[in-house]
Amino acid sequence: MRKSKGGGEDPSRHNGSTGRRRGDRNSEGDHDGFGSGSLQDDDNDPATRREIRSKYRDLINSVQQNREDMLSPSNNKLTEVLEEANKLFKDVRQPREAALDAQLLVVATDLGKEKASQLFAEGSSFNPAAFAVHLLSFMGLNRLENGDNEEENGEGYLPNDAWDRVARRAECCFRTAPTFHYMMGSFHAEPPPPKQRIERQRKLKKMEESHQEATEKEVERILGYLKSYYQDDPTTPISYYEFVIDPNSFSRTVENMFHASFLIRDGLARMYLDDDKLPCIAPVEEEMEGAASTSRHQCVTSISMKTWRVSQFYL
Amino acid sequence: MTQRKRLSNSQTPSQSKRRSDSLEEDDGDMPFTQPSSSQVQRGMEKFTNSQVDQKVAEVLQYILVKDQKKIPVRRADLVRNILKDYRNVYPEIIRRVVQTLDQVFGFKLVEIDTKNHLYILINKLELSEATAPLNAPSNPKMGLLFVILSVIFMKRGVVKESLIWNTLKKLRVDPGEKHALFGDVKKLVTDEFVRQRYLEFVRVPHTEPIEYEFRWGQRAEVEVSKAKILEFMGQLHEQEPQTWSQQYKEAHAPPGASQPSTSQQR
Repeated sequence: MRKSKGGGEDPSRHNGSTGRRRGDRNSEGDHDGFGSGSLQDDDNDPATRREIRSKYRDLINSVQQNREDMLSPSNNKLTEVLEEANKLFKDVRQPREAALDAQLLVVATDLGKEKASQLFAEGSSFNPAAFAVHLLSFMGLNRLENGDNEEENGEGYLPNDAWDRVARRAECCFRTAPTFHYMMGSFHAEPPPPKQRIERQRKLKKMEESHQEATEKEVERILGYLKSYYQDDPTTPISYYEFVIDPNSFSRTVENMFHASFLIRDGLARMYLDDDKLPCIAPVEEEMEGAASTSRHQCVTSISMKTWRVSQFYL
Repeated sequence: MTQRKRLSNSQTPSQSKRRSDSLEEDDGDMPFTQPSSSQVQRGMEKFTNSQVDQKVAEVLQYILVKDQKKIPVRRADLVRNILKDYRNVYPEIIRRVVQTLDQVFGFKLVEIDTKNHLYILINKLELSEATAPLNAPSNPKMGLLFVILSVIFMKRGVVKESLIWNTLKKLRVDPGEKHALFGDVKKLVTDEFVRQRYLEFVRVPHTEPIEYEFRWGQRAEVEVSKAKILEFMGQLHEQEPQTWSQQYKEAHAPPGASQPSTSQQR
C-alpha cells in the first residue's frame, strides 16, 4: 500500500496550480509494517493508531465536503491533501490504517481526474456556483446596498415570482404537451348542498320537537283544567272566553287560546254556542268522539288587546 | 392464438438496480406481444368500426389523463385495462390513436422505453420566447427541473447528487428543509421527477457511503431541447453558446446521435 516514490514513475505535470507533485518518500527499509514482533511502543499503542485513523477520516471528509472548492483551478488544496496524506502514511502500521489510506487515494484520484478533465477540455468550463449567481440575478434578486460583497454571497431578497420567472424561461426549452383539466372541476360523489340541507333540517326538527313537547305539555295541562271544571259542574256551560282569558296577562291569554285550539283540533274538546250565542267550550266525552268527528267545522278566533282589557273589567 | 412467450417482457430480478425503474409484472396475465398482421385482420373482422372507434376513444382518454401527471403509459396497462378483448387489433387502434393525437391535439406519442414499452406525449409544436403566452400561469417545478437538467447537461451528462444539492442550496432551495414553493424538495427531485422520467437517479456502484448520480431521464431526452438550454446559458453568462464547444456539438448533433447511454463520461 505504499505510494510510489516521486519522480520516475509519476510524470509530474508542470501545469502550475493543478500539477500534482507527490512528496518524495524514502522507503523505510523493509520493515513489515503489519503488526509483528519487535516494534516500538508507538506502533502498538491503540491511541496512536486511533489518532492516525481519525486523521485519515478527517482528510477523506474534507475532500468530500469541499469537493467543488478543491475542483477550482485557483487553488492547490488537492495537492495539500495529498501531502498531508503522505505525512500520515509514514506512521501507518496496520491494515486498517492502510485501508483508509487507500480510500483517501480513491477519493483524491477521482477528484484529480475531474480536475484534469477540466484542464484538457476544449471550450469553456462550466462552474455551477457561477451559474447559480447568474441565475439569482435572472430571478430578480434584490441585492442589499452594502457594497459588492453581497453579490458574491448571493445575499439579498428574492422576489416571490423568482421561480416563476425561471419556469417561464424554461417552458421555451420544453416540448411539453399541455394537459387538460375540466373547467368546472370534477364533481364529488356526494354533493355537499343536500348535506347542508339535511343538517339544517335536522336542527330545525330538533327545535320544532322541543317546541312541540312544550306545547303538548301545555295542551295537556289545559285539558286537565277543562275536564276538572266540567266535572265540577257538568251542567253549566263553560264560557270560552272565561276559560282562556287571563286577566293578568294578554300573552298568556293568547297562549291559552292557542292551546285550546289544539284540543279542538284533536277532538278532545268542542266549542258550541250557548242560548245567548256566546261561545262555550267543553271536553269531549270519549263515547261521543265518533259523532263529533263527523261534524267538524273550522273557525278562527281572535282577540285584541282592546278586547282583552275590556274583558278584564268583567272577569 | 395464445402467446406463451415470456422472455421478451419479463425481467430478471438482478436486472435493474436503478431506483428509477420499478416495473410491475402483468399480474399473471399473459405478456403482450405484437399480433401479426393476419391476426389483426381477423381481429378487425370481429368488431364493427364504431366499436373499434370507441376503444380508440377510451385509449385516448386514458393516455390524456395519465399525461396530466406526466406519468408514462405502459403498453401492458393499456392492453390489460382498456383493450382487453381487442388486444389483437392493438396495432390498428394505436395507429388511429397516433393519428388523432397528431391531427386533433398536435401531440406526438413517443415510445421512450422500447424494452418496457413506455409511452409519453410531447408537443409537436415548439414554444419560443416570442410565442409563449405572457399571462399563462407557469409551474415553478419546471423551473427547478430546468436548473437541474441544465447543470447535468453542462457537466456532460452525469453529476453526483451532492453537486445538485449544493447548487440548489445556493438558490435558496435546501433539500433538508421544507421549501415554501416545492415542499419536500428531495422527494420532488428524486421521486416525482424520476417517476415522470425527467431524471434518472442512479446508485454509483462500489461507493461507500452510498452515492447517487443524476442523469437526464428518457422523457427529458425527448422533450427538452439541449440547444435551447445552451442558448439560455449563453444569455446568462453573456457568452456565445459556441464557447462551450462540446456541449454545443452535442446539442446540435443530428437526431438519433444523442441517445441515453450508460456512460457519457470520457
